[in-house]
Amino acid sequence: MALNALERFLLTLTLYNLLATAAISVYGIVARPSLTKKIISLTILGDALNVLAIFVGFRVFSIPPELTPEVELSLFVRSAVDPLPQALVLTAIVIGLAVNLFLIFLALQVYRLYGTLDARRIRELRG
Amino acid sequence: MRRAIVLVSIAVSVALLAYATSVAGALGNLGLETRALAKMFLTLAYNPGLRELTAMSPEAVTAIVWDFRGVDTLYETVVFYMAITAALAIYRGAPKVGGGGVGLSLIVRVVTRLLIPINIAVAVSIAVHGHLTPGGGFQAGVALAVISVLLAVVYSAKSFGKVGVDESKVIALESAGFVAIAAVVFAPLIYSSVTGAQAYLMQNYVKANSEFSFPVEVLGQLISGTLIWFNVAEFLAVSFSFFIIFMLLSLREEVVRPALVGEESGS
Repeated sequence: MALNALERFLLTLTLYNLLATAAISVYGIVARPSLTKKIISLTILGDALNVLAIFVGFRVFSIPPELTPEVELSLFVRSAVDPLPQALVLTAIVIGLAVNLFLIFLALQVYRLYGTLDARRIRELRG
Repeated sequence: MRRAIVLVSIAVSVALLAYATSVAGALGNLGLETRALAKMFLTLAYNPGLRELTAMSPEAVTAIVWDFRGVDTLYETVVFYMAITAALAIYRGAPKVGGGGVGLSLIVRVVTRLLIPINIAVAVSIAVHGHLTPGGGFQAGVALAVISVLLAVVYSAKSFGKVGVDESKVIALESAGFVAIAAVVFAPLIYSSVTGAQAYLMQNYVKANSEFSFPVEVLGQLISGTLIWFNVAEFLAVSFSFFIIFMLLSLREEVVRPALVGEESGS
C-alpha cells in the first residue's frame, strides 16, 4: 500500500500546520503581556503538541489499538496504530487541565488582589 | 528589538523541530509503518501464551498506562494531586456555601435533572470498562466532573449545599481515590511480607520469578488484575478533584473576596 500525492500532501500539511500553531502559541506565551492571553496560549500549545504526538503514532490504513475477539493477534499487530503516544497524551490532557486550573486560580487571585493582569505592571508591584 | 529577537528565536527553533521531524523519519514512512516498540506493546497487551510478559488487557492503551508504564502514570497522578492541592491552598479560608441565585428556567432544570443520572452511568461505564474498551479512570473522571459545572450553572452555586455536597465530603472522596491507588501499588508488598514469596510493587500479573497475581477473571469476566482497580481509583480521584475545583470557581465574587483580601493585609 502506498499513499497517493493528495494523501501525502494532506499529511505534510497537517504536520506543518501543527508546528505553526505551536510557534504562534509560544509567541503568545513569551511576548504578550496579559496573563489571560498567556494562559490561553499555553492551552493552545499543549493541545497542538498533544495532537502532534498522536499524529506521530498515526498510520493511514489502521485499526484502533483494542484487541477484539474477531481480530487475530498477528493482523492486530500489523494494522493497529501506535498505542504509546495515545497513552502519554491521555494522561497529559488531564494533568494539563489540572495545571491550567491552578494557573487560572493564581491569575484570578492576582486580579482580585492587585486589580491587573498585565505582566509588566505586576512586575513593578512591591510587597 | 527585543520583539524581533523573540520572533526570530521562535521561528528558528520551530524550523529546526520541523526539519528534525521530517529527517529523523519520526512519522515512520509517512504514517504507513509503526515502530518496533509499538509492535511489542501490541503483541504483549493481551497474550495468555506469553504468560510472564503480558498485561492481560485487550486495550493496549490501558495496558501501557497502568502496567508497562505504570510508574510514569503514578507520578503523573502525583503531579495532578499537587496541582489540585495548590489550587485548594490558594482558596483557603473561602466560605463554605456559595451565596444566593435561583438558577436557569424550569425547562433547563428538568432536562438537567434527567441528564445527570445518564452522565453518572456513562462515567462509571467508561471507568469499569477501561481495560476492555477505549477509556479509563482519567476520561471517566472528567466525564463525571461535568456534573459540577451543570449544577453550578443550571441550579446556581447554592445547590451544592442543597443536595448535601460540601467541600469536606468531596475532598474525602478525592483522597479516598488517591489512597486506593496507593493501596493497589503496595498490595504486593503486603502479600510478600505475609507469605514470604517474591513480589514486585505495582505487579499486575505473574512475572518470571514471582507467582503473585491479582485476580484476572472473576466469574468468567475479564478484569485484568490491577488495571480495573487502578481505573476505578483514578476515576474517584480525578472526578472529585475537578468537582471541588469547579465548586470553588463557581463561588460568587463578593463572597470570596473579603476572605482573600483580608488574609493578604493580615487583618
